Amino acid sequence: MHEFPSESWTAAFADAVNNNEVYRTHGKPWTFGGVAMVISADPAVGIEDDTGMFLDVHEGECRSATLKTGMDSFADAPFVIVATYERWKKVINGDIDPIKGMMEGKLKMTKGHLPTMLRFVQSSRALVTSATSVPTKFRDE
Amino acid sequence: MSAPICSVSLAPGADDNGFALMLSQLIRQNVDERPEKAVALSKMWGRVAIQVMDLGMSVTLRFADGRLTVYDGVAGIPDITVRADAEWVTKMSLVEIHPRFGLPDPRGEVFQEIQRAEKAGEIETIGALSSPLLLLRLNQVMSVAQA
Repeated sequence: MHEFPSESWTAAFADAVNNNEVYRTHGKPWTFGGVAMVISADPAVGIEDDTGMFLDVHEGECRSATLKTGMDSFADAPFVIVATYERWKKVINGDIDPIKGMMEGKLKMTKGHLPTMLRFVQSSRALVTSATSVPTKFRDE
Repeated sequence: MSAPICSVSLAPGADDNGFALMLSQLIRQNVDERPEKAVALSKMWGRVAIQVMDLGMSVTLRFADGRLTVYDGVAGIPDITVRADAEWVTKMSLVEIHPRFGLPDPRGEVFQEIQRAEKAGEIETIGALSSPLLLLRLNQVMSVAQA
């Protein structure tokens, strides 16, 4: 089990992305840069500052994944998706579809080119839902 | 092609509606980058309501004078109303655009899939016959498919 968020969870997430056949297939033409998935600060679960995973994804592969703290550390990320801890937890549990979540405003793309993301809607969804296969221990459970 | 000046904005109160935010961002980025989409938007007049049935959300797009204003919910009397689940609404932005005519390409795979969904009642479009140009141009400004 990997505590979410943590460095070990981030590494397991990268492995899950690379083991996701749907992502490998549909993400093959993706050459538009990395994606950051950021959890808003939530001191109640010990997240004192915005914290997130930066996934360096390219041509259907996650080349590296890094856990970073502070919104400034994602300044170079071409795509940034932000949500609360509670909502990422629902995504990881498979209770929120990431695309529907964005439509509902539960997940917010604060940076990035939406037409590109929608053009790759299947790989975008597969990228995020890879998290459902990571054995996760949540801080509030 | 020189692009006409277009603007895309949210009506007061619409910034709480995630779908309104997403649509305005999508269309703004599309018209900023693609002159032919800006031309299409500049020619659009009328209101289009889009109701996302499974999410219980709706927005109204009001086109006038090269400006698009996105409202939360159904605002005014729409010329066109589209009702569909989120999956189909997302797919509508993937409709292929004919490279020469700049309009939805009837030969496209997604276009045909949407036609079938309309026949099956999974997508309901009210007002398409009375406002065909508005609907065609809506497809054009929403589409992210590469021509």
